[in-house]
Amino acid sequence: MKNLKLASRTITERTIVNVGNVKIGRDLVVIAGPCSVESEEQTLETARAVKKAGADMLRGGAFKPRTSPYSFQGLGLGGLKILARAREETGLPIVTEVIDPRDVSWVAEFADVLQIGTRNMQNFSLLKEVGQTGRPVLLKRGMYSTLEEWLNCAEYILSEGNPDVILCERGIRTFEKYTRNTLDLSAVPAIKELTHLPIIIDPTHSTGRLSLIGSMSMAAVAAGTDGLMIEVHCNPHEALCDAAQALTPEIFGGLMRRLRPLKSFLECDNERSAATYAENRSAVRCDNET
Amino acid sequence: MKLEEIRNKIDKIDRELLVLLQERMGLALRSKKFKKTVSDPEREEALLDRVERLNLDLMERSFTRQLLKTIIEESKRLQEKDHLLVAFQGEHGAYGDVASRCLVPDGAFIPCMEFADVFRGVEEGYLDLGVVPVENSLEGAVTQVNELLTTTNLKVIGEAQIPVKHCLLATEATNYREIRLVYSHPQALAQCRGFLMRNKLEPYPYYDTAGAAKMLARENPRTSAAIASSLCAELYNLEIIKQGIEDGPSNSTRFLLLSREPYEGRGDKTSVVFATPHKAGQLYKILSLFAEAEINLTRIASMPLRTDPGNYSFFLDLEGSDQDEKISQVLKQMKELTISFKQLGSYPADIQAV
Repeated sequence: MKNLKLASRTITERTIVNVGNVKIGRDLVVIAGPCSVESEEQTLETARAVKKAGADMLRGGAFKPRTSPYSFQGLGLGGLKILARAREETGLPIVTEVIDPRDVSWVAEFADVLQIGTRNMQNFSLLKEVGQTGRPVLLKRGMYSTLEEWLNCAEYILSEGNPDVILCERGIRTFEKYTRNTLDLSAVPAIKELTHLPIIIDPTHSTGRLSLIGSMSMAAVAAGTDGLMIEVHCNPHEALCDAAQALTPEIFGGLMRRLRPLKSFLECDNERSAATYAENRSAVRCDNET
Repeated sequence: MKLEEIRNKIDKIDRELLVLLQERMGLALRSKKFKKTVSDPEREEALLDRVERLNLDLMERSFTRQLLKTIIEESKRLQEKDHLLVAFQGEHGAYGDVASRCLVPDGAFIPCMEFADVFRGVEEGYLDLGVVPVENSLEGAVTQVNELLTTTNLKVIGEAQIPVKHCLLATEATNYREIRLVYSHPQALAQCRGFLMRNKLEPYPYYDTAGAAKMLARENPRTSAAIASSLCAELYNLEIIKQGIEDGPSNSTRFLLLSREPYEGRGDKTSVVFATPHKAGQLYKILSLFAEAEINLTRIASMPLRTDPGNYSFFLDLEGSDQDEKISQVLKQMKELTISFKQLGSYPADIQAV
């Protein structure tokens, strides 16, 4: 970790990334939307639904890094224009992935946050390029990467003069086959020990199972995550990409109604326990004096 | 040549044909002002004969004759529609064209090379109305137009505040990743400097924004794009890569609608232009007339007099109509204090105008 000049905890002040009115690193920020932008209709409908459910930002892929070259590759520039229209209508800032260094400046023209996907975490020329845009970057953890490798990638972006890096844990490869990946929730408190950068959790790609997304979102909030990135599709069965793991707007709405109260409960609880701790301390001191 | 190359060339020729036809239709509309009737069988026959005499070996003479006949029929149909001819400076798709469409929605829009052509055409009756820019919110007065307003006898019968929303345009065949050169009017290029720098695009000055769009549509040079209005995308079948690429905050231009006859209704904004003798307090006296009568002025601009360096004429816009008793009184008093005085007209104000 000694190579981390800008990402390490030696900088004590926590980074808060401002995107419009959204403050990542201070509030619980929920980013929701479809895996990919398929059409204007689908994107706008989903955007309206996640906005109504209380999401803070809209996600959606215009450039898709697919495992197979024959899978749907995304709408490209057309997808970016649709996302810009969705922002115009809903006011939700846009998070979208960039996979090609040649596209970085163009994606930055349309999006509010540039996402670096798990497969590109160590694509250093891409990291340098996004480091020069002045747009916040959401850096997903490589599916085979250690925390140290991940933070070194953040360091690449920071060292180009871009201070706004958001880390996103999206599950790592293990021998377990029931889930798509294994969500490493310990990354949340560990990252907070190691760096001042905010961290969010992607419960969708990490589990790959609809039934687990709700529980893992709650667990992530309990672990102290700064936000969640959840796939929502207005019509999941017709999705062109990752159909089996997108929540319907209804289920997402239900989850949102549980997330925010949990967060406030934990905050109150923190204050309460801090108060109790202080009381106990003074009690102990009194005891010692006697 | 490969099939793809051949097809690209065919597409380019089709685009050029249509752009030229559009120009021909505009000229046909203008020719109507010189004729008593739309139909002119003699001229038609002469045209058809001439085309038939051309020896184009790939085209049957009957075909060329039929083709031209179809075009002539369409011109006549257009001429019969009695559109008002609305002149603006620049190519089709220029911001003047945008303003014309906003001010006279069912007009026929006639591009002119120079502002002077717009004024002259309307004055001489070859064109019905003119639309000219007087002031841009960032760049200030359009001096040429302001000067023409003082030297010609046209009346202002309307105004429109047109937001300047620059778009990056390219032909459908152009991949945005390959764009390196961007053609446009130097002013538009300057207003989008940040955008061009961010995306490492090289600005390339061109005589007109819409002219650059038209050139793209006709010639489709490689790795090139243009900065122009979204209307240009529509008119020249170009793709809008991004809308609103200007760096600064909202930028808009105020256009005036000009006619030989004054506005028929009452109007709620009045424009005058005047010059005062070189005496102390003369301008102050005039302005105090408006202050005392509690008439709000929306624009005061001065312009050097070309004929008399060191002297200025002043443009005043005020709220209200010259038919209002209060205003006509003040204008009368004002006239006595000036060495030259001209009422440009009273007209409906555009609520967007500053």
